[in-house]
Amino acid sequence: MSRAGRLRAQVGADWHSFLRRRTAVFFTFLFPIILILIFGALVGTDPSGGALFGEPPGYYVAGYLAAVVVFTPLSRIGSEVARHREGSRFEKLATTPLSRTEWLVAQTVVNAAVIGVAGLLILALVVALTGATVIPNPLVVAYVAVAVVCFCGVGAVLGSYTDSRDGAVAASNTIALPLLFLSDTFLTLEQLPGWFAPFVELSPLTYFARGVRAASYPDAQVSAVAGVDPAVANLVILAVLAVPAFVVGARSIPETD
Amino acid sequence: MDAVVVADGLEKRYGDTVALGGVSLAVEPGEVFGLIGPNGAGKTTLVRALTGTTVPDVGSASILGSEPTAVDRDRLGVLPQRFSPPERLTAAELIDYYAGLYGDAREPGEVIADVGVAGAADTRYEDLSGGQKRRVCVGTALVNDPDVLFLDEPTTGIDPAGRRTVWRLIEALAEGGTTVFLTTHDMAEAERLADRVGLLADGKLVAAGTPGELIAEHGGPNRLTVETDAEPGRLEGVSYPVEGRDGGLVVEGVEPAEIGDVVATLEKREVPYTGLTWTEPDLEDVYLELADGAERLRTLRGGGPPPGGEDAVEPTADGGETTPDGGER
Repeated sequence: MSRAGRLRAQVGADWHSFLRRRTAVFFTFLFPIILILIFGALVGTDPSGGALFGEPPGYYVAGYLAAVVVFTPLSRIGSEVARHREGSRFEKLATTPLSRTEWLVAQTVVNAAVIGVAGLLILALVVALTGATVIPNPLVVAYVAVAVVCFCGVGAVLGSYTDSRDGAVAASNTIALPLLFLSDTFLTLEQLPGWFAPFVELSPLTYFARGVRAASYPDAQVSAVAGVDPAVANLVILAVLAVPAFVVGARSIPETD
Repeated sequence: MDAVVVADGLEKRYGDTVALGGVSLAVEPGEVFGLIGPNGAGKTTLVRALTGTTVPDVGSASILGSEPTAVDRDRLGVLPQRFSPPERLTAAELIDYYAGLYGDAREPGEVIADVGVAGAADTRYEDLSGGQKRRVCVGTALVNDPDVLFLDEPTTGIDPAGRRTVWRLIEALAEGGTTVFLTTHDMAEAERLADRVGLLADGKLVAAGTPGELIAEHGGPNRLTVETDAEPGRLEGVSYPVEGRDGGLVVEGVEPAEIGDVVATLEKREVPYTGLTWTEPDLEDVYLELADGAERLRTLRGGGPPPGGEDAVEPTADGGETTPDGGER
């Protein structure tokens, strides 16, 4: 069987497995709905009396997408790796022609599909409920795809180095939540203490949020990077970060116990 | 002819625990090699070392002349001991999935029928009985029609009829030239299927040979068990060793033609008895003779079973060790 055949088999198995976990499907798509209901209600109300959530609804679309893009792969891949370890599935797969990289590619494809659907749901809800203006831009699809690659890699690392599904999910939440708020998503750099700045610049999600905002929000004031259009430059930076994250993730998947 | 599976001085330690203490063996083409041994003897660790899913500290292994990690995986079939495939897929989907990973797989429907779960092909794995689950797992190891097949306790949890289905399947594969490396706790399984049997105890291969050779060398004499409450002294003077055990008197070394002599002695000395059972030694006697000694020694030393409760120790991410049932030590 060719590599394409192996990937097809793995993607098919993963996709069917996901669809048949009803609670997983339900909460995967409930998450963006709740996110938008809560944040959509906050946006514009200026509850802090300061500048929090004071931007127009369209500004936060990048943040909504970032939430799904970071939480879903981290928790799904992390727990999937742990589940595979518990069931000796990697031990079995290590004796088949499927490589660790192919396994992670298949997981990434499934996650990209799941997140793609969740992303469409987010865009539809944001436009319908908040009246946000969103520019259709194919670059947003590229951002989602590259970010999924990046965070699937990180999720694989978490799943490989935690000793259970619970541990993987806890670790992914511990990483995803701070990352979400330190990545220029809902809070700008100016709203954070200065010492957070290096963390913000190190987070791959920062480049996702800035790039998606530059590509999809007409009033975005995202700075160019070295004179390059921010919608493109941030995608390049994200891709540069995604490659090592994916490679390390694939390498960390256990072939031996 | 070159051996298909070779282990040369394999050693593996987990912390202070020796899982493999220098195991060497060779399995010839088309041979069924059965590995028996008590829980924690190192059987699963040996299978892992041979299939490249654990790295030995010392020694080397090869399959089909290649290092285990370099072997053509289309020619290799493996059933890990604790394997649990994606549980939301049906039996047919699982076989189809694993078939899709190989270059030239068998027709999934045939495999499903071979392992005897055709009637449950559309049932999700999570809804199958324990025996059906294990048979599906066996199917995933056969789906690529491998030249070398490793089965780590393939019939655990399978009912007697299902076990025989798997046995017939393994026999058919062996007749077709497949080399099979099988671990089991079922002595009848090893005796029926294996051309040669190896007994692993405390990480060492303490005996290997055909079942007949092992029984002749380690199985002990024939036994006539007399069901009685009488003391061994009532048979004093007979020309066979007599012991009081197993709820009666065990007279050793009695050939079938000599049973009448013992019965005559019982009658003559008016020893009351309710039954007689004559048994030849079998592989279980070999196991008890060789492995039980190791177990007793371990108990006397005050140690628990070595690695893993069952057969292996698994290092955890934090450097601890996990037993096969998921507990940690």
